Amino acid sequence: MTLLDVKGLSVRFSGLTALDDVSFTLEEGNVRAVIGPNGAGKSTLFNAISGYVTPTSGTVFLKGQELTQLTPHEIAEQGVRRTFQNGGLFPALTVLENVMTGLHAQTEGSFLDILLGRSAALKSEAENIHRARELLKLMSMDHMADTRAGDLSGGQQRIVEIVRTVASDPPVLLLDEPAVGLSPVARAQMMEIIHRLAGEKGVGILLIEHAVELVMAAADRILVMAAGARIAEGTPEEIREDRAVLEAYLGHA
Amino acid sequence: MSQTKMPSARQRRLRSWLFWAVPAVLLLLPLATNPYTQFIANGILISVLVTLGFTLVIGNLGQLAFANTAFFGIGAYASAILAAKLGVPWLLTIPLAGAFGALGGFLASSAALRGIRSYYLAIITLAFGELMRWAYLHAKPVTGGTDGMPMPRETLLGTSLSDDTLKFYIFLAVTVLLVKATLNLMRSRFGRAVMAVRENEVATASLAIPTARVILVTFMWSGFVVGCAGALFARHVGHVFPESFGMLHLIASFAMVLVGGLGSVLGAVLGAVLLTALPEYLRAFPGMEELFFGLIVAGVLVAMPMGLASLLRRVSPIFVERFYREAP
Repeated sequence: MTLLDVKGLSVRFSGLTALDDVSFTLEEGNVRAVIGPNGAGKSTLFNAISGYVTPTSGTVFLKGQELTQLTPHEIAEQGVRRTFQNGGLFPALTVLENVMTGLHAQTEGSFLDILLGRSAALKSEAENIHRARELLKLMSMDHMADTRAGDLSGGQQRIVEIVRTVASDPPVLLLDEPAVGLSPVARAQMMEIIHRLAGEKGVGILLIEHAVELVMAAADRILVMAAGARIAEGTPEEIREDRAVLEAYLGHA
Repeated sequence: MSQTKMPSARQRRLRSWLFWAVPAVLLLLPLATNPYTQFIANGILISVLVTLGFTLVIGNLGQLAFANTAFFGIGAYASAILAAKLGVPWLLTIPLAGAFGALGGFLASSAALRGIRSYYLAIITLAFGELMRWAYLHAKPVTGGTDGMPMPRETLLGTSLSDDTLKFYIFLAVTVLLVKATLNLMRSRFGRAVMAVRENEVATASLAIPTARVILVTFMWSGFVVGCAGALFARHVGHVFPESFGMLHLIASFAMVLVGGLGSVLGAVLGAVLLTALPEYLRAFPGMEELFFGLIVAGVLVAMPMGLASLLRRVSPIFVERFYREAP
């Protein structure tokens, strides 16, 4: 099933075309990598899909429902969730509290229920504590639940951020360089997590990544961008042989 | 690695018991006070609410907004005007003053929501406070101008509302209720969202949290709490003057927030108690009061940059404020 359908997405900032007519689809359980040199428009693509940048033209649909004009929190609530290149954890909150923020929209109880400490709010809160702990256990991070997130290693922070992002079971996940700065061991663990999310839970994953071996191993399809536009699209094998890609990365032979 | 020691189930039960034990013991306080110390105790309860509302915005939400004294003045004047001009019973003016304070919070948040942040938000909210003071001075037909607004005489259950013991019980009830409600708020998904906005607003929105609404509601709740405190203050002093709501009040409240510990409900209580009571003790040193006051504030902050609450947290995990609530 097609989860994400991006059609002719363009972003122009006063004369500069950051994203130029990009189209692609993302299927259930698939991993699609977005690669390209610096300034290719990968991050702008992510920001446009997740609502942080308003597209100049083009549309984004999630399971047939249009997301294009929604705000970031509305898009997240619809089920497209993302991580951030430079880390989006809340350093002063504990690991458990961080994961629980990912369950915000899943927690019941109105403002008044919370204020008065009514049982509806308390019960839902208790369920989410339990759920957050279970999710941390799946990643063998449960012993870290009460640690300040800011005190974790870089690799652990990336993992907690992913746990937080998938806590609400979103159908689509946008990962912005999840392996940057990670040790080889942590990278392998990240690969494993991406495989599990796509393979076992059927999450559609859009992945920006510079680590070529990770992209080749994890992606079902690759979108190659340069100067805001799509220059190639295909399976990892096809991309490896593509002349336009070689030129974009290495210059003309 | 700083693994925070969290309270055990037994300690959490003890803590919820302690929360109600403190006001229960305080019910006996009027037996141990004289008229002077009773008046001070009443003032402390008001300071607790003022500090609590302030710490929510600058500590938990992390916004450099200094409209707190404006909320306080708005609450006090709302209570005085409603009681004196419209004959509303004072007890009823407390929630109404809170509503006006919340309106002040709404106005202050509109600056933050338009992207005015950090130093710029600080200046614009300071200006808001001074503007309100100007309004109290110049809207003479409504506010009494420099003469201020006297509170009308009133009785409750046959006792005059100028009786400090009666006021103490009312102030205590209002304070305990608002502290409890604020604790409920902070130890919920809402409280976590407030801190998340402080830590990383962009990432917060990516978690389906409506950040603008979180900012708006935090400011409004802060305004409500401080506005209610204003109504208590109007009855406490019996006569509302513009000078009560100037920079001096703002700086004193800010010191209470910092001495107690930014973003801590317990800290708000500790800071307010210490810094409201302290000047009374320092009266024994005429001419040196301000000096000693300043030295003590500076001393606490140098020794404990995270405030008095951090000291208690080190003593026992029972004082660790978490932003979620497990079953007792």
